[in-house]
Amino acid sequence: MLFDTLKTMLAAFGPTGQEGKVAEEVKALLQDKVDGMKMDVMGNLIVEKKGRENGKTIMFSAHMDHIGLVVTDIEETGYLRVTNVGGISLEMTKTRHVVFGNGVEGVVVCQPTKGETAGLQHLFVDIGAEDKADALSKVNLGDVCVYAPDCFRLGEHRVASPAMDDRCACALLAELLMQIENPVNTVVGVFSTQEEVGLRGANTAAYQVAPDLGVALDVTAWGDTPETKLPAVKLGAGAAIKFMDRSHIATPVVRDGLIAAAEKANVPYQREVLPFGGTDGAAIQHSRGGVPAGTLSIPCRYVHSACEVIDMRDMESALAILKEFVNAKF
Amino acid sequence: MKTEEFLRQVTALPGVTGNERKAAEFIAEAFRPYVDEVEITPLNCVIAHKKGNGPKVLICAHLDEIGMMVSKIEKDGCLRLQSVGGVDPRVLPGMRVRVFAREGELMGVVGATPPHLLKDADRKNNYTFETLFVDMGMPAEEVEKRVSVGDTVCFEARYVELKNGRVATKTADDRACVAIMLRTAELMQKMQHSADLYFVSTCQEEIGSYGALVSGFSIAPDYGVAFDVTHADTPGAPKNSTHKIDSLVAAKGPFIHPYLEKKLEEAAHENGVSLQTAIDPRATYTDADELSLSRAGVPTVLLSLPLKYMHTNVETFDMHALTEGARMLAHYLAAVDESWEDELWI
Amino acid sequence: MDLKTLCEMNGASGDEREVRKALLEAAKPLCSHVKIDRMGNVIAYKKGKGNGKRHVLFSAHMDEIGFIIINATEDGLLQFKPIGGVDPRVAVSKYVVVGEKKVKGVIGALAIHLQSADDRKRVLGYDNLFIDIGAKDKDEALRECPPGSFVYYDNDYQEFGMGSVVAKALDDRIGCYNLLRILEGEYEADITCAFVVQEEVGLRGATGAAFASDADTVIVLEGTTAGDMGDVDPVRRVCEPGLGVCVSFMDNASIANRELYKELMDLAQEKGIAHQVKRGATGGNDAGAYQRGKEGKRTCVLSVPCRYIHGPSSVVKLSDIEAQYELAKAYAEQA
Repeated sequence: MLFDTLKTMLAAFGPTGQEGKVAEEVKALLQDKVDGMKMDVMGNLIVEKKGRENGKTIMFSAHMDHIGLVVTDIEETGYLRVTNVGGISLEMTKTRHVVFGNGVEGVVVCQPTKGETAGLQHLFVDIGAEDKADALSKVNLGDVCVYAPDCFRLGEHRVASPAMDDRCACALLAELLMQIENPVNTVVGVFSTQEEVGLRGANTAAYQVAPDLGVALDVTAWGDTPETKLPAVKLGAGAAIKFMDRSHIATPVVRDGLIAAAEKANVPYQREVLPFGGTDGAAIQHSRGGVPAGTLSIPCRYVHSACEVIDMRDMESALAILKEFVNAKF
Repeated sequence: MKTEEFLRQVTALPGVTGNERKAAEFIAEAFRPYVDEVEITPLNCVIAHKKGNGPKVLICAHLDEIGMMVSKIEKDGCLRLQSVGGVDPRVLPGMRVRVFAREGELMGVVGATPPHLLKDADRKNNYTFETLFVDMGMPAEEVEKRVSVGDTVCFEARYVELKNGRVATKTADDRACVAIMLRTAELMQKMQHSADLYFVSTCQEEIGSYGALVSGFSIAPDYGVAFDVTHADTPGAPKNSTHKIDSLVAAKGPFIHPYLEKKLEEAAHENGVSLQTAIDPRATYTDADELSLSRAGVPTVLLSLPLKYMHTNVETFDMHALTEGARMLAHYLAAVDESWEDELWI
Repeated sequence: MDLKTLCEMNGASGDEREVRKALLEAAKPLCSHVKIDRMGNVIAYKKGKGNGKRHVLFSAHMDEIGFIIINATEDGLLQFKPIGGVDPRVAVSKYVVVGEKKVKGVIGALAIHLQSADDRKRVLGYDNLFIDIGAKDKDEALRECPPGSFVYYDNDYQEFGMGSVVAKALDDRIGCYNLLRILEGEYEADITCAFVVQEEVGLRGATGAAFASDADTVIVLEGTTAGDMGDVDPVRRVCEPGLGVCVSFMDNASIANRELYKELMDLAQEKGIAHQVKRGATGGNDAGAYQRGKEGKRTCVLSVPCRYIHGPSSVVKLSDIEAQYELAKAYAEQA
């Protein structure tokens, strides 16, 4: 079930650069259900489900990594100094509950700034350590913490959790790979790494896979809460087919293919023009000699906070679109 | 095709970054008589191959243009736009724009709240994409039926011949340089050349030179010649940032191969063509940046056509600079042979 | 080749000719195969004695920061721009050499007596700085130093204090110096030493080298910013000269391969090589390009802490240079 898969994905620890535990969860789900799986040097998990003769190879990418805070130094008093891994917002991070890979928990605090504009350099993490030596017995320089898992339902259709960006797409891709049988096109699912620091994993994955077409699966922003206008995307109105963002302009063949799939599946969808942001779609499109590529988005509110909200109806719409898309003729 | 006629037609075509198919098809046909093979790639680069047995040279100019995309349809039927590439929103008010909708092209007018209704403080602020909109001249429900979020929008196109061989048009950036390549290919019909020439009209330059990057990968050239526009002298421009409008400019700097650049200066001198120089201390913000990094690296030079009012619908250049530039380039390329690499690193 | 010779050569990004030639000649007798690639990198390959299963690439950049002439004023003062990240506040009143003819000059600005109270607070940018070579007028200035001429700080290499070195271009001629020393050793693994160009303008040389190489692991030898002087808060110092080679877990351009990072930390521990963790994630270097070339490679960065980096007088400790060499060599030997 989509929701169970989503919960599994959300529970795994996986900051940018240390996505191994998420990959383990995906592997466990897909074992024996696909034609091949491998990990590459960047930590990408590359999964293949073979298509029929004359089908094309389509690469789907969903990133496993989650923004976090990396320990850069430890005060004599045992407080951790940190900096961002990926797009961490100061406002959304103050007094957050965070967790390290080994289970050590902490609270992020912003110190008084004495007139300076507050920045990440003013943050520290309190892990309850007595002093530096005590702190060092629990964490090391270079260790990364993330917003602690906290997944809950919001009304009938919605779910709030940290790491929804982009574990909801990991769940979607895992479900797609489990549910399709003998697709027309070969489906290569890439559970990618280091997206949040510049699409780094998808870059090397796209080079290896060398697909005919590419689709990134990612979250997008919303325009349906007070004083928020763009993009013209709502929660619950269906998956969003991206036309452009700051990283790429969807290749017409892919974008129109997704629209055709949505219409064939008879599910709601939206068109997305995003004034900022980027996805693995760019990395695929610009790889090798150029690969037609685009993005299918899950509308997500409060992206990069500890409570990112999606609507399960949009997840269902996306899954239906993808199931048609993998069987389309290109 | 005559250069003037090509320019008149090609600048009128829509080819907003990422949606360049129409412009690409026209350009492919224009090259066909002068080269051995023409191909349009999946991302809409046009590759015109003029065969030779010598080193592989990739010459490129971009065919895409800056423009806009519909980002939202408001309740009253007006369209909100988002820029594709660097559009200066201040040039838009009062402009007639072309909206490429499902059923075909529609005209719209860019409007903004009239100054009479603004507060004093607002009047001092420039127009932005948030304050501008497109009036489609039809009721909201009709707009909803015809226009969709994601439709591309481009500037109105008019080809205006000014005095002294100057031309003002949309998308002189960079189709005027595509015209230089086309004219070069035509001139080379009557010349001997050993270089294996790929004239590439690239896509997606305006958002990061991705067309140059991917065609550099698939062609794997020995060296590259990138073509783009640069700023011609304009009142109020910062010091040392503009050039005379009447001749091409060769770039120098870390991203440009110094030996190949010297060869350009020699070719200009030998053929009596004037050539200015520009210093780019860092990135050139043209296809040269990405082309030079494709695969294991491609030694690259950059030529620029000076242009006034860049990124508007009235980009103005000098036809003489264009034709003389093509003559120089043809001689430069004809002189390339197996010895090109001998002194590359001396 | 000694570090003094390396640092005193001039080679800003795009103008590496002199350094490239010297490195090519120095590497030739030490390896099985050496070439200049299409980016202008010097790639030295040394076949190992083993079965060829391991191939480790060590990389250092040969370019340095500098300036480039763009024009001259009517009265013969040269106008210039920086190549790479140069702080203009440091440039004023420095000695320079310009162009292939190495014309001597100084960087001048308005004397303090002629400045207004406001001027004194203002940062001198490149629009207010000029290179004076003593030219009478614009024609003479541009004849001697045409636009496009590269400009370098004219400073020599000196050892001073206790085990300290001051020179320009320590970032990253130290890395080049240590690569040449690595090439002198004998290893089981295949070794490539890449002396790359154009790091300072965007990791460009390494981007080409990364595409062409089939090495499984890349170790980048760099210089990195030390912030251990003056008023800097103890938790903002990033690294400190004298404490050993600096190992990075991440920076703006790459996140170190976790496994490789651990291998290097353990190796330093085991061999008793002085080392420190880089306490910050700022800056970026060629590891970013190597990590993401083609299918990707394992990367980690070993840096020498460098005070006043990108200036005319950067300062490092000789012991840290040794530690960088020792750790890189130890890795090559066990690979």
